[in-house]
Amino acid sequence: MQSILKRTLASSNPLRRCYANPSPRAFSQPPFRVRTIVTKRYTAEHECVAFDDETGIGSISITDHAQSSLGDVVFVELPQVGTEVSQHDQIGAVESVKAASDIYAPVSGKIQKINEALSAQPGLLNKSPENEGWLCKIKLSDPSELENLMDEEKYKASYEH
Amino acid sequence: MLSSRLSSCPKRRIEHTLSTHYCHNLYDFRRYSTQRLTPPSPQHSIYISNSTNPYFNLSFEDWLFRRKAADKPLLLLYRDDPCVVIGRNQNPWKEVNLPVLRASKTIPFVRRRSGGGTVYHDLGNTNFSIHLPRTSFDRHMTAQVVLRAVRSLGIDATVNDRNDICVGTEKVSGSAYKIVSQRAYHHGTMLISTKLETLGDLLHTHSKDTMETKGVASVRSPVRNLQQFKRGVTHGAFVEAVMHEFRKEYGLLGNDDKVQMIDEDDCRDIEYIQHGMSELPSWEWAYGQTPEFTYTVHQTFKWGSAQAKIKSKHGIILSCDLCVSGPTEGTDTTAGGSVASMSAALQGVTAVSMDEPLRFVVKEVEQMLQGRRYGFISAREILSGLGTHDNTKVGAVEDLVSWLVNLMDS
Repeated sequence: MQSILKRTLASSNPLRRCYANPSPRAFSQPPFRVRTIVTKRYTAEHECVAFDDETGIGSISITDHAQSSLGDVVFVELPQVGTEVSQHDQIGAVESVKAASDIYAPVSGKIQKINEALSAQPGLLNKSPENEGWLCKIKLSDPSELENLMDEEKYKASYEH
Repeated sequence: MLSSRLSSCPKRRIEHTLSTHYCHNLYDFRRYSTQRLTPPSPQHSIYISNSTNPYFNLSFEDWLFRRKAADKPLLLLYRDDPCVVIGRNQNPWKEVNLPVLRASKTIPFVRRRSGGGTVYHDLGNTNFSIHLPRTSFDRHMTAQVVLRAVRSLGIDATVNDRNDICVGTEKVSGSAYKIVSQRAYHHGTMLISTKLETLGDLLHTHSKDTMETKGVASVRSPVRNLQQFKRGVTHGAFVEAVMHEFRKEYGLLGNDDKVQMIDEDDCRDIEYIQHGMSELPSWEWAYGQTPEFTYTVHQTFKWGSAQAKIKSKHGIILSCDLCVSGPTEGTDTTAGGSVASMSAALQGVTAVSMDEPLRFVVKEVEQMLQGRRYGFISAREILSGLGTHDNTKVGAVEDLVSWLVNLMDS
């Protein structure tokens, strides 16, 4: 049963197909095509950061669990490009029909880019929270901070009990 | 406390009738009052604010929210002087009848920190605020606490699918919620004896269908006061009922932690609250937090017609595109003409239909508006800033500028 679940999860998660897991054997393709390593880490406040170690950029988003708890998102407040933030600083907020929730920086760094599409389509956060509904890109000032965050398994366990 | 306020504010005597009433009956809160030599602590469970200043009450609420121990429940109850309160991400020009507000001279609009829609507060409305740890926060459960309080007053209330407390099909309460890293709150209104006609006037905006906003829109509903369902229900009775249900729900019955009665003056040395009280009325917060919107309007004049498309974000005019046209043959430019036909006529505005001096002035007006605060520029400022132009166009230019300024003032 577990192996069926794992396979189902792996095939339904589009990111799994493209990105390697954070183990030393990082290639998901034959050796002549090298893929960058992307590490995904989670916070207890339901933010997610997908870190690309080649560019040093992390893509910040909220998790699927967060968007389902929030309900329909009606407004997204994002930080300004160029802002320097520390880990756990408030960097924005999401308003849904259920609540106005603050979003916190999972890692420290400088905001490089924000997802302008969310201004006209806040619902992207519900449709595709960890993909098209990305919030902002951050240039990490200290990638070792990722070690303090949870991996997917630990994150799921943190709210499932 | 209350009697001294009454003597210094004779105009407010009528509005304070409710508060004097409850002071002399069963629900005399003076038994809770405490003499304060030091600022209040945020670690108690139940607070009642004696202040009716909405800027204080919202700032005090935020301070309690940020400072109280994360794992403990907290209840705050307060009333405000007449004001309109909009949600964090709303557009005041779309939600509030600003001309009526301004004409009142005493009623402000306040942008709160939680989401949701626009409400009207006066002394006939009681606000409740329940703070809990984020992980155990459930807005349905907190709504049930307030519902049980209302039902204990002998009113057959229910909760609707938007989590609002209703009696029958009419709302008696509106709610909003805020979540931060460790805490969450559910706060809301309870209409007991609010002046509903004033509420209706202030929250009704002349149709601004052509104002498209990226902000949050209110969901309008018919509202009623609790007193319309049960005469004699008072602010005091509601407060006692909510305190009782809150204590019952969170295991505080028999707990000897006293209810904290808070005056504005008690918090004069609390920097966080003082900062909040100066931030909330500032232009940067009240108007400058307005999400992006576009307002498209047409107008006919004696000399022709105009279409304006004003784009604004964070309260600043990003751009104002003006299309001006003299009356053209075959086009109905009278007030009775349809918007569609006017729009069609203006679509193809070219150098032929807008003569050069007017076109030049129109460009100047557009440039002057760009970067200015929406709704905060006078006709005189714009007109005096324009370069000298053809005198025959003065009337048209003045009409145009007055129209634009009135649009933004409405």
